[in-house]
Amino acid sequence: MEQPRTDPDQELVKRTQAGDAGAFDELVIKYTPRLYGLVYNMTSNHEDTNDLLQDIFAKAYRAIRGFRGKSSFYTWIHSISVNMTLNFLKKRGRRFQLSLDDVDASIQNDKEFLEVTATSSPVREADLSELQRRLNEAMMKLSDEHRAVVTMFHIQGMPHAEISKILRVSEGTVRSRLFYANRQLQNYLDEFRKNPVS
Amino acid sequence: MEEFDDSEIARLLRLKRYEQPPPAYFENFLHEFHRRQRDELLRQPLWRICLVRAQTFMSRLEVPSLASYPTAVAAVLACAAIVSLKMYQQPETARVALQSPPSISASANAEGELNLASPVSMPILRTLPVRSFHGSAQTHRAAPTRYVLDSVPVSYEPSFRF
Repeated sequence: MEQPRTDPDQELVKRTQAGDAGAFDELVIKYTPRLYGLVYNMTSNHEDTNDLLQDIFAKAYRAIRGFRGKSSFYTWIHSISVNMTLNFLKKRGRRFQLSLDDVDASIQNDKEFLEVTATSSPVREADLSELQRRLNEAMMKLSDEHRAVVTMFHIQGMPHAEISKILRVSEGTVRSRLFYANRQLQNYLDEFRKNPVS
Repeated sequence: MEEFDDSEIARLLRLKRYEQPPPAYFENFLHEFHRRQRDELLRQPLWRICLVRAQTFMSRLEVPSLASYPTAVAAVLACAAIVSLKMYQQPETARVALQSPPSISASANAEGELNLASPVSMPILRTLPVRSFHGSAQTHRAAPTRYVLDSVPVSYEPSFRF
């Protein structure tokens, strides 16, 4: 029998609801890096991510009084982030420029990076910035909804069940979106394989 | 022929975790958040700020029933009723005080003198010739006619006479 999980942020949420702004600051500090990754990988633009993240926390602060704890704070704030980002992307349309963050130098020590560069000839031949650009371009060719699922599953490592709660769709829908997105990414990156330095 | 399979795509995408904002970004984010919140607060109308503060105050009291809108509206209406009741009662006396002076001044004018009904003495300046016109014309021909004002301050006069 599954035990009901207690929300680790419950205390901070209660304090925030009681008017303790410092408690909300702790939540902001805790979730900023994770939400930054979510929004950034959906928008591929640092400035947009920054503005959106500010708006997300401002909205969460205004709405936290109505948060009744039916889901965890983690799920709740991720839902707000995904919905606001999807709305933003609809308004932004296709006219935008990539504004990418630098790749952290520690990637050179990453086991997976070493494996990918060792086994895949296109990746081996391209430099890191080129690889980054190709990956982001491929991501941006996905629809907003598919990109959201890919970001949460592949980049952030969330389980299907959590993603389905955040997006309020069934786990089956999450799996089918992932399957379709993987096929599309495969096609886009095959061009990279055929012509790695273009 | 090499192709990207699912696991390879997954590994490539995981490498995107290494795309990070500038080092101080996360430290400055909270300050930026506070600054924007303050700016937003300053743009809000006063009534909204008051409402939010009142809600916060009520929630601190941990009396959720009092924080509900119908109760708050009822409380405001009750206060307004009490205040308006007091304001309605006060003008009764004020109106009496305002209406009485005209009747006093009217009787004072008609009689030429103040009477018991007027506790406040009116500033009446009486001009009295010092001498009769004929006598003064003989002795002080060149002198202009002089009048002495009865200059005793009216406030020194008794307020009533028998």
